[in-house]
Amino acid sequence: MKAGWLTALSIVICGAALAAYALLLRVPAIRNHPEGYVAVFAIAATIAGLAVALGRRWYAWTALALTLALLLGGATFNFVLARIPAAQSNLRVGERPPDFTLADAGGRPVSLGDYRGKKPVVMVFYRGYW
Amino acid sequence: MSEAEKAGVEIVAVSPDPNERSQRLAEGLHLGYRFVADPDLAVTRRYGLIHARGGQHGEDVPRPTTVVLDRDGVVRWLWVSNNFQVRPDPNDVLRAVRAL
Repeated sequence: MKAGWLTALSIVICGAALAAYALLLRVPAIRNHPEGYVAVFAIAATIAGLAVALGRRWYAWTALALTLALLLGGATFNFVLARIPAAQSNLRVGERPPDFTLADAGGRPVSLGDYRGKKPVVMVFYRGYW
Repeated sequence: MSEAEKAGVEIVAVSPDPNERSQRLAEGLHLGYRFVADPDLAVTRRYGLIHARGGQHGEDVPRPTTVVLDRDGVVRWLWVSNNFQVRPDPNDVLRAVRAL
């Protein structure tokens, strides 16, 4: 019986971690700590391992396989695939970056110089839709 | 009024995408965003903000970066991501803007 409860617990923990990460992606504290889901998968895998030790039932083994797969997949994604190799940018605090002119969505040219002396600018570089 | 407008700042969002949709959305929401396209990543590269072969098909993509420039165009705050899941906390950006 205990093995059954621990199995269920490990699955629920994984599901809750996935749901929380997906639903709370807009919360900076959640979004900016993706290693959190890896840690939770590790906890779930440990609990599934306990379930196997107690019962050696097929469902406990299944939960262990599932949680280990999530742990391995999550760790690979977060620590390997999502990692951006360190590189020195050409931007320095206290320096003025070179100006540029790029077209906006309406085809109108936008330059940093347009705002000089008028407004502060927040430049956001992002990957685009994918 | 958006937080950006209240702070009197222009947000310039740079990506390789054409962004017509984003611009329409931003204008519909009355957000003071300018979406600009850097299709060949020339500016992104000049700024040293390339994540080499980081795209889905092994292409170069921008490294997620946020830069606060003061009225004189001088960098006052800089945040460069080392994990593409992670973005700066908007409150940190606002704080940097308000500190100008």
